[in-house]
Amino acid sequence: MNLITRFRLQVGAIVLLVLLNFSTVMAQSDPTGERRVTGTYAIKNATITTSPGKTVENATILIKDGLILAVGANVTIPKEAQIIEADSLYIYPGFIDGASNAGVSKPTDPDRPSNFNPSNPPDELAGITPWRSVLDYYDGNNSQVSEWRKVGFTIAQILPEGGMLPGKAAIVTLGDASSTNVLAQQTAMSAKFRGMGRGMYPGTQLGVIAKFRDLYKNATYSSEHGRLFASNAGLQRPEINKTYEAFYPVLDKNIPIIFEVSNDLEIRRALSLQKENGFNIVLTGVNEADAVIDEIKAANAKVLLSIKLPDDKVTKSKVEDKSEEVQARTKRVIEAYELALKQAAILEEAGIPFAFGSMGGRSADLHKNIKIMIENGLSETAALSALTTNPANILGIQKFAGSLEKGKLANMVIMSDPIFSEDAQIKHVVADGYIFTYDISKKKKGGDEEATVAIEGSWEYVSDTPAGSSGGIMDIKKDGDLYTGTISYDDPAGGGKASSEMKDINISGNYLTFSFDVSAGGMSIDVSVSGDILGDEFSGNMSLADFGTFPLNATKKPKRN
Amino acid sequence: MKKTHIIYTGLLMMLCFIAQAQTQKGTVLIKNATVLTVTNGTLENTDVLVENGIIKRIGSNLTASNVETIDASGKYLMPGIIDAHSHVALDAVNEATSPITSEVKMADVVNPYDIGIYRALAGGVTISHAMHGSANAIGGENITLKHRYGSGNPENLFMKEAPRTIKFALGENPTRVHGRGNGNQPRTRMGVEAVIRNGFNEAIQYQKAWKAYEDAKKVKGATPIPPKYDTRLQTLADILDGKVIIHCHSYRADEIYALINTCREFGITNIVFSHVNEGFKVAPELAEYTMGASVFADWWAYKFEVYYSTAYNAAILTENGVITSINSDSGELIRHLYHEAGKAQRYGELDDEQTLALITINPAKQLGIADKVGSIEEGKQADLVIFNEHPLSVYAIPQMTFVDGVKYFDINDDNDDMRLKVSAAETVEPIFLKEHDHKCMHGVDFFFTNFGRNLFDHSH
Repeated sequence: MNLITRFRLQVGAIVLLVLLNFSTVMAQSDPTGERRVTGTYAIKNATITTSPGKTVENATILIKDGLILAVGANVTIPKEAQIIEADSLYIYPGFIDGASNAGVSKPTDPDRPSNFNPSNPPDELAGITPWRSVLDYYDGNNSQVSEWRKVGFTIAQILPEGGMLPGKAAIVTLGDASSTNVLAQQTAMSAKFRGMGRGMYPGTQLGVIAKFRDLYKNATYSSEHGRLFASNAGLQRPEINKTYEAFYPVLDKNIPIIFEVSNDLEIRRALSLQKENGFNIVLTGVNEADAVIDEIKAANAKVLLSIKLPDDKVTKSKVEDKSEEVQARTKRVIEAYELALKQAAILEEAGIPFAFGSMGGRSADLHKNIKIMIENGLSETAALSALTTNPANILGIQKFAGSLEKGKLANMVIMSDPIFSEDAQIKHVVADGYIFTYDISKKKKGGDEEATVAIEGSWEYVSDTPAGSSGGIMDIKKDGDLYTGTISYDDPAGGGKASSEMKDINISGNYLTFSFDVSAGGMSIDVSVSGDILGDEFSGNMSLADFGTFPLNATKKPKRN
Repeated sequence: MKKTHIIYTGLLMMLCFIAQAQTQKGTVLIKNATVLTVTNGTLENTDVLVENGIIKRIGSNLTASNVETIDASGKYLMPGIIDAHSHVALDAVNEATSPITSEVKMADVVNPYDIGIYRALAGGVTISHAMHGSANAIGGENITLKHRYGSGNPENLFMKEAPRTIKFALGENPTRVHGRGNGNQPRTRMGVEAVIRNGFNEAIQYQKAWKAYEDAKKVKGATPIPPKYDTRLQTLADILDGKVIIHCHSYRADEIYALINTCREFGITNIVFSHVNEGFKVAPELAEYTMGASVFADWWAYKFEVYYSTAYNAAILTENGVITSINSDSGELIRHLYHEAGKAQRYGELDDEQTLALITINPAKQLGIADKVGSIEEGKQADLVIFNEHPLSVYAIPQMTFVDGVKYFDINDDNDDMRLKVSAAETVEPIFLKEHDHKCMHGVDFFFTNFGRNLFDHSH
């Protein structure tokens, strides 16, 4: 090393040291003013449900830097603690979401190679990316994450977006923006029955199931080859394949496969694959479980029930003066609807310790839907278990989450009234020891609670689908008690706009739902839209038959004079 | 309202009965029927005793205690109708993304709730062959279904004794989907032939690689490395080993004959041709080298390759000694296959027994299940239909349909709404659209450009 180089290095080192030192000084003074004064809180005199079914009155909970130090009637409160008077409040363990995709973005598809062969696409194009970590596509500061925290979730298992094997899940806390908030990585391998569709193998459930079997089997052989090569001389080297390698933790039963299902037949299909291959399985998006209770038990499958419930389109319909046939048909739909609401109760009755998964649902529906499940036979204790202890057990984080005990992570939901009661509202959510405070709106008295907002007019909407952003105009007119309307959209056949009649336009309070049909390639695709109206803004979701649910937002155009 | 209530109580009770019965085998005594055995002539005033799903005795003045007895005086009893080419009760039909998809299995996507199964039962059909579509030169493995309607478990419908079968397809469909649609092989009929031939040759290499591995494993202390596993090639190898029956969608005589030659070259004898509109031109070859042809009675001209057709096809094939069956390939035709058979008789003057064989014992032979079903014989499975008239009469209406001796359809207990599962959110389900989809090219539309879609707006 010559002198000059050495000199440069020394100068460099000194500059670096000075900089480092300087930056430390800066941080201590916290010019942003964002850092909290203390990480110690004492929440006093509350009614605390430490775990489902166990409640203590007039108790205090002491937390420090994200950890519960004490819970009980006689808790010594240290000086540095910030005190939160909670005399009339109810505290519950923070909710845990078994399967979420809040804050998770969809990876961009790579470009197709020039010699692209649709019958044998590269794994990455075919939606086979089990090596991906959802954390690379997760933004904890996304507004979707705060929406779910606002309704009580403090921990979530997040699942990647993508095709049949989109990647590995992770567990995060919904804590402060200053942290990565990661509790565990590679917690499950995500799988679904949907291919990437449209002319690429595998395109349908037929191909997806066959491809899954082949990948699993070849991963097994690949791992065997690797073991042989490591311990024997004179063998061909194994061809490293990241898809197969991503299966290894599943083969070793270190992590489960979390299968996204949408009905009882898909549950059966997932359980058949489990039976053939012997992996540990978690089912998410579960509904119609009543038909497969025995099979779920036999497979020891873990169940994440969808928080989504079907829209009630029938129970209030007046069919007395309709034909007997219409009456009979309506009755069957009502029975099916009621059965859908009973799923949670049926799982409880069967002794299956299910949890909830939020994927596909709306945060605003969470408490409403759980109350409906309770009205349909689910016990309150089981409902709370499904939000707390059960998901902790299913995710294997019960050592540090799921209940309020000394030594567990400081995650809780603080409510104005007992949870699941009519007036219960969330005042604070404590996630990772950080306090998030929400306004408690005073409920309006009297009958105008259900007053509906005016929706007639012209709305300009934008929807975001994997294919990109598109939009159009919804024109809604009031016709007596009913609404009629048309919606325009980009013509799927290409070139310009097409429009359809809006069907079943329904507004209840500020919740708007409607549907319309898009004709694409001789097929009619049913699109249903639902969401909330606030002033002149509509924010909601659009579901496209088999293709998924995407955000749709609209703004009412001012009336022209 | 009260009446509706009674109807529903009845329906619920019936559903309970069915749900309970699905794993059961039925026991029943059918008295005084005109029994159309298909393999052993017509037996007047004959009783058939079914015990635990099996035809125990056929004779006169049979008695059995504590057994449900059905008086079939003046009625006709025939074997359950078998449809050798159907797409009913499937959630997906075409994995139309690769010219060879022999790894996919229709058993994976069976939908036991499909009302099409009940409609088929109401048409006397007790077994259907749920097939992959015709988008690929080599499609997926099919599944033979017994119509045990009422169970939510697809496996309860599988005819587990039936041998494996696989779908092949020649002509316009695979060339349209892959050649013109995706710029892939096959683009022509020659290409289809080449794809199949290449597939078999690769399967032979695959078999060799695995045999070498298995042999090497037997050597003590050896550490052979497993070759890549490939269900696609494994299934093709199983075809070469005679473990799987090919059911090949085809229309033109030239390509039928070409595939016969390819099969002979690879030593394959288990092959049935489906549709086969030009089969009459190669009838002797079909008779000699194949397990027969499964045809339409009089359905053609829905695309260019299906113009050279005749309603005498089934009769010509039969008279040439080809095992011939009539299939539906449709959720609608499956409801009246006995009419379709009747048409073949009307044109080709086949006798009653030959004609009934087209929808019973012949499709059973083509599916490899003729030793178990397809005729009324002692020891066979009790898949039976009672008709009010001779089933080849235009006035014939099925009255009761039995699978394994269990009654799944009774015209006197045929309620308005026989759906097993109802959507919680749809008051009117798009049933007709779904019916339209029970066809060979189901789910393929997406793969075509606008040009192709307009030009070929048909489905088989």
